[in-house]
Amino acid sequence: MTQLVFSPSPHVHTPRTTRGVMLNVLLALLPATACALWYFGLPALEVLLLSVGTCVFTEWFVTKYMLGRPNTIGDFSAIVTGVLLALCLPSSLPWWATVAGGMVSIGIAKMAFGGLGCNIFNPALVGRVFLLISFPVAMTSWPLPDPGFGDADGVTGPTVLELLKHGADSESFLRGEMLVGYMGGSMGEVFSLGLLAGFLYLWVMRIVKIHIPLAMILGLAVVDVFAGFPIGLDIISGGFLLGAFFMATDYVSSPMTARGMWVYGILIGIITAVIRRWGAYPEGVSFAILLMNGATPLINRYMRPRRFSPKRKEVGA
Amino acid sequence: MSNHKTFRKGGIHPVSNKNASRIIELLPLPMKAILPLSQHIGTPAKAVVAKGQAVVRGQVVAENASFVSSGIHSPITGTVTAIEPMVNPQGKPGMAIVITASHEQHEADEIARCEYWAKLVPGESDRTLSEKTSQDEIRSAIAAAGIVGLGGAAFPTRVKLSLKPEQHPEILIINGCECEPYLMCDDSLMCTYPGRVVEGVELMMKAAGIDRAVIAVEDNKPEAAKALVDALDTAYDIKVEILKTKYPQGGEKQLIEAVTGRRVGSGELPISVGVVVHNVATAFAVWQAVATSMPLIERVVTVTGDIATEQRRNYIAAIGTPLSEFPFTLPDEARVVVGGPMMGKTATRLDAPVTKGTSGITVLGQTRRRPVQACIRCGACMDACPMGLEPYLLSTYGRMQMWAEARSAMVADCLECGACSYSCPSSRPLLDYIRLAKQRIRK
Repeated sequence: MTQLVFSPSPHVHTPRTTRGVMLNVLLALLPATACALWYFGLPALEVLLLSVGTCVFTEWFVTKYMLGRPNTIGDFSAIVTGVLLALCLPSSLPWWATVAGGMVSIGIAKMAFGGLGCNIFNPALVGRVFLLISFPVAMTSWPLPDPGFGDADGVTGPTVLELLKHGADSESFLRGEMLVGYMGGSMGEVFSLGLLAGFLYLWVMRIVKIHIPLAMILGLAVVDVFAGFPIGLDIISGGFLLGAFFMATDYVSSPMTARGMWVYGILIGIITAVIRRWGAYPEGVSFAILLMNGATPLINRYMRPRRFSPKRKEVGA
Repeated sequence: MSNHKTFRKGGIHPVSNKNASRIIELLPLPMKAILPLSQHIGTPAKAVVAKGQAVVRGQVVAENASFVSSGIHSPITGTVTAIEPMVNPQGKPGMAIVITASHEQHEADEIARCEYWAKLVPGESDRTLSEKTSQDEIRSAIAAAGIVGLGGAAFPTRVKLSLKPEQHPEILIINGCECEPYLMCDDSLMCTYPGRVVEGVELMMKAAGIDRAVIAVEDNKPEAAKALVDALDTAYDIKVEILKTKYPQGGEKQLIEAVTGRRVGSGELPISVGVVVHNVATAFAVWQAVATSMPLIERVVTVTGDIATEQRRNYIAAIGTPLSEFPFTLPDEARVVVGGPMMGKTATRLDAPVTKGTSGITVLGQTRRRPVQACIRCGACMDACPMGLEPYLLSTYGRMQMWAEARSAMVADCLECGACSYSCPSSRPLLDYIRLAKQRIRK
């Protein structure tokens, strides 16, 4: 006798899963991550493994011993946070700082808000900014790339943005070398072409939309035009592309509608450029994204989707 | 790339799985027919037979109980053995008339029925039918035949066609999209009886007082579209519009937008933009009623899903036939969906009958839902929603019992197509909570 099973419709579902989405993000981060290891060697691998390990362990520990909830590390989002955090750190960071960053990312920025989907701020960026404020020296010593899986820790140098802040001529930088990542910077931000390839993959797979990165470039460009700064150089220097492609597009902390994404992205671009040109810090992507993360609920509230029906009733509670 | 039109907002592309045979076969008449009095939207019909009374095939057994209601006819010759409460396939309780076939007449019924259907296939179209028949005659034939919308919603056709000139009907759209995955009843009907469908459309145009009709077919059914085009008569302004396949194109508001570019407002009816929508199978039933005086006692039903290839077929089945009479073998554990997998309901019992709105039986072997995970705010549900709603938010309102907020976020616009739940990567039961909110605010 057949057992009849009852369930409400729909009875079929998309093959896409949250874990699948996270795996695809990891795949998209592969070029930038591989480049980080190639340029910065074993120390980079150490930062990467420590960061991912701490993030996953923290999530497991918090769900098991503090929240008493089913363990959620199977959705792989903690791995994504771990990789993203590592990619915005210098490979020379002491191990304990990486561990502290991972614990703040997951423990405070994510789990304290209720876990995946409930966090207001991008966990990896909270971890990075926590480290930047707590250990400013360690977080601003950038090893120069040493291609060939070498130990790059020996030589450190300033980032392009730091040089610019101190009055360097914007024409003195070689864009070609910068595109392939031959410049000082965090592990994952240097290889612009790899970041672009990863993002294009996610875009083609329809996992992320292109609105936010485009809007960010637009916002940055507007300020650069006013400030008389070369736009192309601004885009490929610092963490702008890593932020635009992989941090600002984070589902949880970014707006839901296309219109909201435009507003969010343009404002991130503007704030980034303003900090870079006139702020105390040479780099401002992390701050800009975190600021706009905080504005996301507000954007979601005012940028509702356009309804199908022309006759609009009261929208908004 | 196809440049076929479609609706603009939202929509999904589930695997179509339209892999049943398109050849329509006759399912033998049942020995027992169960006829729920409520097979349509509106007031349940009023029984006009008593227990023990003899009835013949095609006889009225229940009649309109109000303006929005529909009569019901017996599909077999026999005796009324019960008028009793029963639960329909979807678990909805109501009264039903049970008719048990008489052994002597059963074979005669079957022979008469085979002859009836055999005549339809090769038969020359009578192109003068809609000229010969007056508007009132067509309308009364539709009313007498107990025709309701056969696309699934089962709204009485008589009511939908009773239009007044001041309502300014301009376009009759005939829905041949069949956007539900798996189902093929409309496809096989269009391929097998294209001429009858077109004549039915001509009759409906006259009944509604509309000069222009569009038969909409999705581009995954090229054979059906071609058959219809070949059957068109230049004397009538009927066009076959091929639409780009996308679910839920068969949704009334989506279909109207796809074909005409007009959008029906929140809580309004299609006639507000001058459009009336009917299903292709309904057009066929109208032709049957007018041309052959045949009441709605049989319909095409697709049997499909996770069953053997040779069991995936389209049948002409008598309304009232229990689901268990269909020849298919169930896996050990199955969801038997009455209708398609997106909007159909799972049957609670297999002795429940096929009703006027039953377009198919979809057997799904994979019975478990994936475990629910946290919402990652990916926005897939918003991208999928054809009404431009925020399913993630509406379902939260439903779960938190925030009815006022749900109402102001336009939950009533939801057509329950299931595109949101389908597309959620975290397998959240979005539509379940949205339905709850809809039910609550309706009160």
